Amino acid sequence: MALLTAKGIHVRFGDRVVLEEVDFDVREGEFHGIMGPNGAGKTTFFNVLTGRVKPNRGSIELAGENVTGFPSHKIARKGVSRSFQIMTLFDEFSARENVLAALPEFRDSGFNPAKAVTAEKKWQDAALDVLAEVNLAEKADVKAKELSYGERRALEIAVATAQRPRILCLDEPTSGLGSDGVRRLSDLVQRLKGKLTIVAIEHDMSFLFSLADRISVIHWGQVIARGTPSELRENEWVRRSNLGKFA
Amino acid sequence: MAPLIALDGIRKVYTRGTLRRQTTFTLEANFSVDQPGIVGVVGPNGAGKTTLFEMMTGSNEPTSGRVLVGGTDIHKVKYKERDRLAIHYHQSYQVRHFKKLVPSAMLLSSPTERPLVHLFDEPQFNPQDGYIGFMLDFFKRLRDEGKLVFICLHPTATYHLEILSSIASHFMLVSGGKVMQKDSFGALISDERCRSYLGPQMYETASKLA
Repeated sequence: MALLTAKGIHVRFGDRVVLEEVDFDVREGEFHGIMGPNGAGKTTFFNVLTGRVKPNRGSIELAGENVTGFPSHKIARKGVSRSFQIMTLFDEFSARENVLAALPEFRDSGFNPAKAVTAEKKWQDAALDVLAEVNLAEKADVKAKELSYGERRALEIAVATAQRPRILCLDEPTSGLGSDGVRRLSDLVQRLKGKLTIVAIEHDMSFLFSLADRISVIHWGQVIARGTPSELRENEWVRRSNLGKFA
Repeated sequence: MAPLIALDGIRKVYTRGTLRRQTTFTLEANFSVDQPGIVGVVGPNGAGKTTLFEMMTGSNEPTSGRVLVGGTDIHKVKYKERDRLAIHYHQSYQVRHFKKLVPSAMLLSSPTERPLVHLFDEPQFNPQDGYIGFMLDFFKRLRDEGKLVFICLHPTATYHLEILSSIASHFMLVSGGKVMQKDSFGALISDERCRSYLGPQMYETASKLA
């Protein structure tokens, strides 16, 4: 069953149509990849899914509830969490404090990252558990700005998963990572797969084709193709291209 | 039923100078397409392919004549609703903006919600990334949904000709200020103007595909 469904999403910025008509769905527990050339509308579509951009037309349903036009904080509360192309961490705070600030029980007690140092032990433990999941438990007390790029990427995912989302949206998670970093991230996503519903925009085709259950190709503000990695590879031009190598 | 698109006596003239006006560019078009399909548009740089697309999608006002999309004069429709009739997918960063002389309130609403005509202006076909296959399938899907698709392509590689000959059912050659319809890929490349525009090497490849 679809956990999230977007129908006929149309977005324009002034004279420019950014999303013409996007239909999309993600099933419970699925990893749904989104790929497409630069400027195709992928990030705008993510912004629509997470409430940062209100569509001019179309609807979004989350677990059967119409959430079209809900602001981003409400969508987040309903269980849609996201990472960004450009990282958004509290640089001066430790990895643990970054995760603490995202824990719902901690956040509900009044949002103040500075309070993290005096937080209750059960919250500290919960934050450590989340960090362990992304292999950052040993770096819990290192400031975010002192972590390596790959570790910061992992911490971003930890912050997103700390919110215990129903859907995790990742915007180009491998961006800027070397091959080693991509491999570690693949392992991490593999571990999260099944436990979480994941939607990821990604340019790294080997990453996407090896992990995704389904892939939607967005171009010209529309979904121009959709299918499992093996279905997409059936296309003759795909086989002739670099994409064909990821068979 | 009205044709999907009809260009009725379209003429676009660009001039320069104020006292002594000199014509720098003219483009004339007179054609209609009744049925859904995929039309390949070719022509040398500066021949007016983009200007033609701009007039067909209502952003660039013709000097005279009318563009009817599904029977509606697109230049009489509210500016922001014109892409509900015909939509122009521009070459990256090549969007030109034109003066809007008539207030939108005085214009008509679009009778359709989704575009009937889709115009792709030199889409980036890169055989390395595999998107070509998805793009071509998408054009076919639009056609099968009853839409009319125009693809403007400047053939610089063999696979461009391969794409054109395999996907388009009609062709148009924009050259010398005129838009000429061609019923087949063979008819297109046997036109002397197309032949000289392609050059001997590309022409040889094209003739094998025809």
